[in-house]
Amino acid sequence: MGLSSRTSPRVPAPIACAAWLSGCAGPQSALDPAGRGAERLAELFWWMAGGAAVVWLAVAALAVYAVRGGARRAGGGAQRALIVWGGAVVPTLVLGALLAYGLSILPGLLASAPPGALRISVTGEQWWWRVRYESPGEAVELANEIRLPAGEPVEFTLRSADVLHSFWIPSLGGKMDMFPGRETRLLLEPTRPGRLRGVCAEYCGESHALMAFDVVVLEKPEFARWLAAQRRPAAVPAGGAAARGGELFGANGCAACHTVRGTGADGVVGPDLTHAGGRLSIAAGTLPPGRAGFGRWLAKTHEVKPGALMPHFGMLPPEDLTALAAYLEALR
Amino acid sequence: MKGLPARAAALILALGVGGLLAASSGLMPIKASSGHWAPTEWFLRFSMRRSIFTHSLLIKAPAGLDDPALALKGARHFESACRSCHGAPGLPPSPVARGMLPPPPELKARVEGRRPRELFSVVKHGIKLTGMPAWPVPGRDDEVWAMVAFLRLLPELDEAGYRRLARPGASPPPFPAPAAQACARCHGADGSDLGSGAFPRLAGQPAEYLRGALEAYRDGRRHSGIMESAAAGLSAEAVRELAEYFSGLPVVPGVPPKERDAQAIERGGRIARRGIPARKVPVCAACHGLETKRSKDAYPALAGQPAAYLVLQLELFKEGRRGGSAHAHLMEPVAEKLTPGEMRDAALFYESLYLRKPDPPDPQGIDTTEGRL
Repeated sequence: MGLSSRTSPRVPAPIACAAWLSGCAGPQSALDPAGRGAERLAELFWWMAGGAAVVWLAVAALAVYAVRGGARRAGGGAQRALIVWGGAVVPTLVLGALLAYGLSILPGLLASAPPGALRISVTGEQWWWRVRYESPGEAVELANEIRLPAGEPVEFTLRSADVLHSFWIPSLGGKMDMFPGRETRLLLEPTRPGRLRGVCAEYCGESHALMAFDVVVLEKPEFARWLAAQRRPAAVPAGGAAARGGELFGANGCAACHTVRGTGADGVVGPDLTHAGGRLSIAAGTLPPGRAGFGRWLAKTHEVKPGALMPHFGMLPPEDLTALAAYLEALR
Repeated sequence: MKGLPARAAALILALGVGGLLAASSGLMPIKASSGHWAPTEWFLRFSMRRSIFTHSLLIKAPAGLDDPALALKGARHFESACRSCHGAPGLPPSPVARGMLPPPPELKARVEGRRPRELFSVVKHGIKLTGMPAWPVPGRDDEVWAMVAFLRLLPELDEAGYRRLARPGASPPPFPAPAAQACARCHGADGSDLGSGAFPRLAGQPAEYLRGALEAYRDGRRHSGIMESAAAGLSAEAVRELAEYFSGLPVVPGVPPKERDAQAIERGGRIARRGIPARKVPVCAACHGLETKRSKDAYPALAGQPAAYLVLQLELFKEGRRGGSAHAHLMEPVAEKLTPGEMRDAALFYESLYLRKPDPPDPQGIDTTEGRL
């Protein structure tokens, strides 16, 4: 973005434009597609933008022509023809073509996945994402992070635990609403590895803006290794502050809401924390990963995410908070 | 005729100025010892009765006012907070109170025929310019109704009846702090609540939890007209001694609950062990344990607590009126999600658990499998 302001008049316009458009790239951009659906949507966007530009130029040209008195010079028949063609026939053709093109894209976006495809169910909850890899193989639950294999179609089953949410990974495809008491489906096919970002695209309460998730597209073998690692129980730290944090996790009753597979913790109210320390962010894309982030989340929960269901643990002594944060960080 | 309004205005002004002069002269007696002039007294009493009637019109008495446990709670607090001024059947008021104007009435005759809502209004709000105070905290109408439940029994009580209700037998073991005598009136010298179901059982409760509760009451962070009065002014030393004393008492097997609804207990057991995941109600046992195992000493053990007490705490949490120690806020999002029926089920389940000496806290977590019971 800063580039455009530094562009001097001597820089040719196309280069200045390109620099400005670089703002459209990045991990969360529908104009920088990294998946089949997003590619089609981007194509549709560019066709529509191009069409709109042509229509705008034609209308502007006609306006200039009219202001210069051209209409007076033209005869009555020409005027009627202009109204019929310019006012009805051409718009109908242009809009009809765009509609046909748009509708032709839909079946591809709504198709169900081929048999044996990766299936992931995602539940929107105020304000985080419950993610469950259903198949292939044994189901495994995690939270706020989705990793996908490049070049594979993936079918998402979407639900909501409370209010309307909308599941959107702009770089991969369109968004799909999540309704309480109903399932929706979405097919996405990432085309290249990379780190992306997804968001909730339907206002869902005070911390709606703090409900994001990380998306990582991996090469297939790397993805298989990652999923296998997610299926394994937690690596329980053996000593030091992290081990003490594990004891505090049990003593403070964190297990009432959270699961850490491989320990006694089997609560299902909040996010599964089995591999929380290996995730790319904390609290649904709200805090950077690491001990400091966990510590801040535990002590200042509602400063970080107003209205979050989790009660804060700021009443614990600082050394306990540090130990708990070390434990969570060690859960990789 | 034109001069009449002017003359009336002059008269009113003269009366006002005259009254001000009389008051500022200091000649008017405010002595309690001199009593009221009979017409003044009649007027004051008349306006008081009318005010109580009108101001209580919109108050609705809750169901269950006849619950003996409720009256018991009121009776024990009456004994410690009200009797010194009002006296009780067979027990005259303190001579100090007799010197007040108006003298605090003996209540037996006074409450007879009064509507519960009128009693509630007086107990909750007190009466201006008399010695009658308002209830110490605003948000605990349940305690005020407990007092009303007792006052309704008062006209029928003789001395023996009052003693049975409000002054249980003297406490045999020596107490560490004199304040424990006051605790024992409700919670029992053995910390067992005497099987009444009206008061929480203290025996075997972790000392850290009891200390936190007493400090919260004393400092106005846990809200109760009864317990804030009881804990007011306790020194840090007294709080520690009381907490350790009651915590160290041997836990006697619980009195079998009066109400034994097997289905409700089973439903409550499911909530305690598994929570209600679909509505984001966590597992009770992860913090409070089952039977006597808890995860941490700051968390209370619930096994064997009277169901009515547990339900009341959940209701207070739900409405944000309970307060408590630094850990108390943990319960609010839980209680918010429970329906009245689920509160009762979970409370009946914990009440039904056999009461025994608590195990030390087990940070390794609580085994919530069914097999344990």
